[in-house]
Amino acid sequence: MALDVEEIRSHFPILQRILPNGKPLVYFDNAATSQKPLVVIDAMSDFYKQYHANAHRANHTLADESTAALEGARDRISKFFGTSENQMIYTGSATEAMNLVAYGWARYNLEEGDVVVTTEMEHHANIVPWQELSKEKGIELRYVPIDVENFTLDYDAMEVAIQGASLVCVGHVSNVLGVRNEIERVIEMAHSVGARVALDSAQGAPHEKIRFDELGADFCSIAAHKMAGPTGIGCLLVKSDALDEMGPFLTGGSIVKRVSKEDTLFQDGYAMFETGTPRMAEAIGWHAAVDWLEDNIDFKEAHDYVHKISSWMASQMRNIPGITVFGNPEKEESIGVVSFLHDTIQAQDLGYLLDAGGFAVRTGHHCAQPLMEAMGVGSTNRASVWFYNTMEEAEAFVAHLGNIVERFS
Amino acid sequence: MPDDSEWSEEISEIVDRFQSCFDDMERLELLFEYAEKHPSNLPMEMWNDENMVHGCQSRAHVVCSLNGEGGFMAEGGADAQIVQGLMAITAIAVNGQPPEKVAEHDPSYIEGMGLSRILTPSRANGFMNMVSKVKKEASSLM
Repeated sequence: MALDVEEIRSHFPILQRILPNGKPLVYFDNAATSQKPLVVIDAMSDFYKQYHANAHRANHTLADESTAALEGARDRISKFFGTSENQMIYTGSATEAMNLVAYGWARYNLEEGDVVVTTEMEHHANIVPWQELSKEKGIELRYVPIDVENFTLDYDAMEVAIQGASLVCVGHVSNVLGVRNEIERVIEMAHSVGARVALDSAQGAPHEKIRFDELGADFCSIAAHKMAGPTGIGCLLVKSDALDEMGPFLTGGSIVKRVSKEDTLFQDGYAMFETGTPRMAEAIGWHAAVDWLEDNIDFKEAHDYVHKISSWMASQMRNIPGITVFGNPEKEESIGVVSFLHDTIQAQDLGYLLDAGGFAVRTGHHCAQPLMEAMGVGSTNRASVWFYNTMEEAEAFVAHLGNIVERFS
Repeated sequence: MPDDSEWSEEISEIVDRFQSCFDDMERLELLFEYAEKHPSNLPMEMWNDENMVHGCQSRAHVVCSLNGEGGFMAEGGADAQIVQGLMAITAIAVNGQPPEKVAEHDPSYIEGMGLSRILTPSRANGFMNMVSKVKKEASSLM
């Protein structure tokens, strides 16, 4: 299946947008959130127009249809990620999924003195829950440093850090650097010392087909909105033996078998963790997104295409006076992200100047302040590419950046 | 159209210069120019937590006082040139004015300059926070 980018772009109405300043949109903020194909927008709209009702526990037609759509989506999405529906918990986001590992598994299974390992490269979603749990339970939190020369995890340091650990939490792909961590190696290392592994795949899942059962991680967090799906939904994939060890996190309706004034008997399996009105429209939208991805995208081919664009951008940007590119976007396994700074044009200014040319990039610490600290910077500008971007857009971006540097430095 | 009845001659000239810009890039280039010639620049060594403007992605600081004639004075400094440029134009608008007038200051010239689109709250550049801080300090100096 050849990647027909023009055809693919025609599925995304927003990519045709002309901005208020008259410039055509060039969307390079995909690591923050991806755009949505029309089928996703239509599926959600159709739900609200035709069969919107609260799922479960009702005997009317609309509720039946809504329930079938919600559970059908679970079946479809879990299969897309190479697992079964009883190993997938809907969450509000990848961040909530990582909190579910912290508060639904670690809080029930770890005690004072137990060790959780994370890394300096992580998004705050894979740091802050562990810090908070550490305060609550007296858990020891260890950080694997990054090798700042090569922008990789320091795997030798990881070998040491995981000794005696109960849980190793690692990002699949860095949201700042686009570095694809050696997750298979991390899983093997962690399991060899008896530790469970929580994988933050918020940035990995849009670029690489997750096959959860084959991968061997115990937990895996995913965000729908970064992979053509809607905002407000994500999931935690959980191995069934780890799921058996979990206890309730957010509590209330829907997750119970029986409630008395004295106590509550909770549901089993994933049903224990999805309290409140289910994310029906979002699940339906995500279902449409994975169907669309399956029908239109070969992930290996898309990775090669994205890599070709982002590696070319990085190599060209390194030639612009004053620009520093962080990480190694040129490396084959890197994934579509180019983080950069100019030595005299401040990052926020650069973000505005790129926007003036129609280029959407992200500016800031990208919720990865420990990584920023390790790299010795406060923020970066970040251009992130997905399969609907084109080499022409990349060329225009590099030309505009060169023009900015010429005029403003 | 913004109300230009309160604009000084200097501010009106600035607005005219921005209105004659070809595109956003030229407007931002001009803003960088004003950043370079801030009339009451606050040196970096005087930046501290007390005079920080909150809500900026970049660092921005304002110190307000009265000059010998009782006129208001806003000294400002920011590490982003776009913020520094906006502070410079605000300083041009308020410096020397009676604090009573500054306390009621309306930065309508931003709209006239064609910059209101890039100063939406979601951009978190803190410009309106800076104006609020200036107005609040002016009230306390009345």
